[in-house]
Amino acid sequence: MLSMRLRRIRNSHQLATAALFILPGLLLFVTFVIGPLIYSFQISFYDWNIVHPETSEWEGLQNYLGAIQDPVFRRAVVNTLVYTLVTVPGQMVLGLIVAILLNQQIKGRALFRVVYYLPVITSWVIVSLLFEYLFSGQAGLVNYILRDVLHLIDKNIRWLADPILAFVPIHLLGIWKGIGWTAIIFLAGLQVIPEHLYEAAEVDGADPLQRFVHITVPLLRPTIVFLLVVLTIGGLNAYISNLLITNGGDPMDLTHFVLTLMYEATFTRLDFGMGSAISYLLTFFVFAISIFQIRLLRQTTEY
Amino acid sequence: MRTKENMFRLFGVMLVLSLVVAACGSAATPAAESADEEPSAEEQSAAEEPAASEPVAISYWHTMSDPETAQLENVIATFEDANPGIAIEPTRFAYDDFKPALLTAIAGGEAPDTARLDIAWVSEFANQGALMQLDTTMADYAAIAAGTFPGPLSTNFWDGHYYGLPQNTNTQVLLWNEEAFAAGDVDAPPTTMEEFADVACALSDADNEQYGYALGGTYFWAPAPIFYAMGGQVVDADITTATGYVNGPESVAAFTLLDDLYAQGCISPNLLGGGVGTADGHATGMYAMIIDGPWMVDIYAGNYPDFNVNFVTIPTGSDGTTSSVVGGEDVVVFVGTEEVEAALTWAAYLLSEEAQLMMAEVGVIPTLSSLIGNANLPDYFDVFLRQLETAQARVPHPSWGDMDGAINNAFQRMLRDEQTPQEALDQAADEINALLNQ
Repeated sequence: MLSMRLRRIRNSHQLATAALFILPGLLLFVTFVIGPLIYSFQISFYDWNIVHPETSEWEGLQNYLGAIQDPVFRRAVVNTLVYTLVTVPGQMVLGLIVAILLNQQIKGRALFRVVYYLPVITSWVIVSLLFEYLFSGQAGLVNYILRDVLHLIDKNIRWLADPILAFVPIHLLGIWKGIGWTAIIFLAGLQVIPEHLYEAAEVDGADPLQRFVHITVPLLRPTIVFLLVVLTIGGLNAYISNLLITNGGDPMDLTHFVLTLMYEATFTRLDFGMGSAISYLLTFFVFAISIFQIRLLRQTTEY
Repeated sequence: MRTKENMFRLFGVMLVLSLVVAACGSAATPAAESADEEPSAEEQSAAEEPAASEPVAISYWHTMSDPETAQLENVIATFEDANPGIAIEPTRFAYDDFKPALLTAIAGGEAPDTARLDIAWVSEFANQGALMQLDTTMADYAAIAAGTFPGPLSTNFWDGHYYGLPQNTNTQVLLWNEEAFAAGDVDAPPTTMEEFADVACALSDADNEQYGYALGGTYFWAPAPIFYAMGGQVVDADITTATGYVNGPESVAAFTLLDDLYAQGCISPNLLGGGVGTADGHATGMYAMIIDGPWMVDIYAGNYPDFNVNFVTIPTGSDGTTSSVVGGEDVVVFVGTEEVEAALTWAAYLLSEEAQLMMAEVGVIPTLSSLIGNANLPDYFDVFLRQLETAQARVPHPSWGDMDGAINNAFQRMLRDEQTPQEALDQAADEINALLNQ
């Protein structure tokens, strides 16, 4: 009895100490993250007046329904999903290849690791402007190579003037910029796989492909799940490249992502209710899809 | 078990506490807002104290260019010498960031005292209740307003009141590249729209990315000079309907001209996105003609010092009239400023001949009619001042941004051959009518 009580005292003592350490961070988190989250949830049900919030009119689900019925929003959802479906596998496949190459005993390995990581740390703004220049319809490097060097086309392609072709630079940029980070995470995953598993498989006569399929992939499963969830969230939240390369929705509001549309609704059209509703629709969707992904890929097998 | 329970309980208490703190912190919730309106005793006594040694600080937000920002410092110095009790604190923003910055500041209760707003935004901010009515608060408003050009002044009017003063104005005229004209054996810039179309095609060679005319985009500001010059109108004078205006015969004729020129390869495809910008293309001879504003003098002086800029008024429409689109900025005072008198003094000073002439030195066109013909104005202002006599303001309406978008999309649909100009503008008229009826 006594010892139990003593332990409880010691525990509550520890708890108080821990709480003191947690409290400042929690306060900041609640003030700057949870608070605004709740506030914008409230805004999403109003025709919000930013200057005189007390005059805002309650609209119920009107903002949500309005967004869902808006063809521009639907198109933005499709664009965002396509971007995610293209860039997430693109980053993962290429990132895995790079990681496997960087995991070999090759000359200048450190240099290659730096080179592949460079796009990750460069500013989104700078590389977006660079890709915009590369794919310029009149004076871009890509058209120059296709027309004047390789003679594949007769006329310059107007990349950014076309609602489909405009996604070529945006998708390529998304993949190119993400490979380095994906590769680093895969590399960490690869390095924990014990070497003796490969040696044993080799003794059993497994070829490199079999070793990859039966050892590397299963043991990378937690890494793959992690990357899939994180990259999907990142893909659904894509924003800067689109805003800079197509000004958000050019041409004709056909190239919006959900977030560029949210930005336009909020800060260009001053419709804060609609902007908040769009961001909450995205939040619910990301939340649902993340849970789905984790459930789908969860497994209990221990290696 | 008990410890775990305790921990949850503690966490819950902390969460609730933090939420309370956060709620108190966000001043913009309706409850907190109304509480803010009653100044505490402490604040009241502070306001009654005379400003003895400390000058009153007035913030002024703007989006000026480099040379304008440098000259603004001189304007402020002159103002502060004459008004020792007031200190102006200017803050410069990039144009694209300005609206979000203003909105966040207003929402957070940190709006500036004064700002220089794009003329197209004043009715929008006034409609949100963010701006002071200057005609009811500024003692000499009527006198100052009477001395300004009516077009720019009209952009300050919304719902029965004036919310600002026209600080500077501008319009767009035709720029023609001498060398490109000489190379194509064209002697002089076009004076009528027929000549303009002929010259644009004569100086084009689309296969080699050479064009007679280029627009910066399909947003309304770009085709607006040709649209207005050919008699186009967006809505009626009372801003009640777009039917018969944006899709009326003159408006359709203007867009048909542009659509035909584009189809013939006489207009650069850069207006649909992803091409060479008009400023660079014009200076390098790629675009023989562009339509742009007085700031091009400074831009070219910096980027293409050897390039000779040639301005001429917009070619005339079929009935011989010329026109263009009015641009510029208005100075406004925000609701909630604590030093109303000082803010109004500063706003009025920006409309003085002294301040207007100083800013004119760096290419800013004044709004005071008394300055027409003033010897201190740069020579190239002549063509802009002449164009301003007929130039028209865009629709002063809080939903102008959406109306602009409707015309922009209509222009895109005709350029992409999805609709004829008449069909595209009929649709735009319906969309604008819906905005007017909201």
